Amino acid sequence: MNIFWISVGSGIAIAAILALSAVAFTLEYAVSRVVNLAHGETLTIGAYSAYVAENNFHQDLYICALIATAFGALAAMALNFSLIERFRNQKPLATLIATLGASLILQNAVLIGFGGASVSYTFSQGNLFHIGPFLWTALTIKVIISAVVVAVLIYLLLQRTRLGKALRAISQNRELAQVSGIPARRVVMQTWAVAGAISGFAGFLYGETIGTITPTVGNGFLLLSITAAVGGGLGRPYPTLGGAVVLGLVMSIASTYTSSAYQLVIAFGFLVVMLLVKPNGLFVRGRISTVRA
Amino acid sequence: MLQYWIAILTEAAIFGVLALGIDMIWGWSGDFDLSAYAYFALGVYMTMVLTIGKPSPPVEYILGWHLPYLLAVPITIIVVIAFASIIGAIALRTLREVYFSITTLGAVWAIYYLVENFTPLFNGYNGLSGLFDPMGGGLSYNAYHYLFFAFCLIVLFCVYLLVMRLSRSPFGRMVRAVRDDERAASVYGRNVFWTKYRTYLTGAALAGLSGSLFAAYIGAFNSLDWAPTEIFVLYAAILVGGRGNPRGVVLGSFIVYVGFVEMTRYIPSPAARPELGPALRQILIGLLIILMLRFRPGGLIPERLGTDGSQGRRSRMRSMFQAQQDGHDESVATAHADDGSDS
Repeated sequence: MNIFWISVGSGIAIAAILALSAVAFTLEYAVSRVVNLAHGETLTIGAYSAYVAENNFHQDLYICALIATAFGALAAMALNFSLIERFRNQKPLATLIATLGASLILQNAVLIGFGGASVSYTFSQGNLFHIGPFLWTALTIKVIISAVVVAVLIYLLLQRTRLGKALRAISQNRELAQVSGIPARRVVMQTWAVAGAISGFAGFLYGETIGTITPTVGNGFLLLSITAAVGGGLGRPYPTLGGAVVLGLVMSIASTYTSSAYQLVIAFGFLVVMLLVKPNGLFVRGRISTVRA
Repeated sequence: MLQYWIAILTEAAIFGVLALGIDMIWGWSGDFDLSAYAYFALGVYMTMVLTIGKPSPPVEYILGWHLPYLLAVPITIIVVIAFASIIGAIALRTLREVYFSITTLGAVWAIYYLVENFTPLFNGYNGLSGLFDPMGGGLSYNAYHYLFFAFCLIVLFCVYLLVMRLSRSPFGRMVRAVRDDERAASVYGRNVFWTKYRTYLTGAALAGLSGSLFAAYIGAFNSLDWAPTEIFVLYAAILVGGRGNPRGVVLGSFIVYVGFVEMTRYIPSPAARPELGPALRQILIGLLIILMLRFRPGGLIPERLGTDGSQGRRSRMRSMFQAQQDGHDESVATAHADDGSDS
């Protein structure tokens, strides 16, 4: 029973990071109707920029977090400006293929820059704490708290600011929003900046939790983010959050009993069940017969 | 030098077969399938375990039947089709476009990690090896490779003829009609799922066949050889040549394979940085995909919609005229006029 709770505890940390990554992914989909397969690379860029910052700024956790966030945002904005907006008039599938190309380019650019071997963060994991039935390190607790804080910030952004309102309008109908005087291009760009910032931060948190990163760190996270977003409800931030939490817990509990190498296999099983049973998302009402995007 | 060129061209011919298969799924049917490389890999693995002998203790894998190569190929193809029929049934029944791609992306990574970690299947991470001689023994090294190159070319040519024939047949037109307007095609009595499913399985069969060829060519195979991202090279080849047009696809795979192997040969790859060459190659492929999509999505030899050169000029004009009158897409009118053979 003890093992079970420890694994649920580590599952909560991963689920928290996954939730941030999946929300960023879903926000990108909400405003641009694009399944961004280069999403993982914004996480990678965040993680690696934090690694560089750590080597240069003497392990200040907060400066590293800030730099990861900034570089994630820059990467996502560059992606939106140079690729997504140029493919706006094409089919969603063409854009998806183009983001695949972008993912190849970015991933291999990181590979050239930092080499294929893994690099390590040297933040100390801190003391162990027993909280309720869980066993967490100080660092894990920081990760969970900051993920919750970011999630609250996202909620406030969506519900209480003009940008959030404009974002929601655009996600429902871009043309109509534009007609009503919302500067669509600017709002889309700002949304990508926010999404990139979130995913850069998520990449940093993930590196911090795991300790080592490789150029494919984000790519492994991409499939999980897609699964969480599709499982919860693609393009809808709150259902996506729910989907990420469910997926994170399912994976951590399942991998207590099997090898952790099968995590992605489990995630795919989850995705397939979701798509077959409730194709438009776990937390979204209604049914549709054929799913297309 | 000649051996070098023979090796590259053999590889291009093998991947030409794979590209023709993937193009059926993506070009004709419009389903961007990311798991096709898994069918190719399964083809390689199956051919290996069927033709090499029983495993010795530290190594483990299934079967090990030591069959002759030409008998192993059809069995491999049947296994690949059976496997693809599961994934196709999940992904094609109600999911389209982006959702289809996501599902197949999940499938290919799940399969990849399963094969890599579950050693009793294909010896996991270490993969399979065991040189064998599909042409029957008694040939010198060079003669064998020339003969195998000829064999691959013949297979590619036969597959090309088959695909071209299918492409011009009522079936080929029906697949494209379903791609262009599912609802209209189903109104005209076409079974959308069944049409897409058959195309998917045919494409997977070709992927399995090219896997069989590759197994004979390479002789050893492990999970590093089929990272799911490798499929982008094939999509780049299809995009360059002309999506949906078998002639263009064969041209594209030769251009991309020969061109890229040649170009990346001159990139300096110092011993300290062995990843530099392959990484630059991947970046170039990413760029190629984006630029082709953006500026010339039809490729060098674009698909000619609905007609594909099989109809006379007059009937082509008639179907276009009809399309204008009905306010329909040209291809739908063509599907109507031709009456695709089965229903």
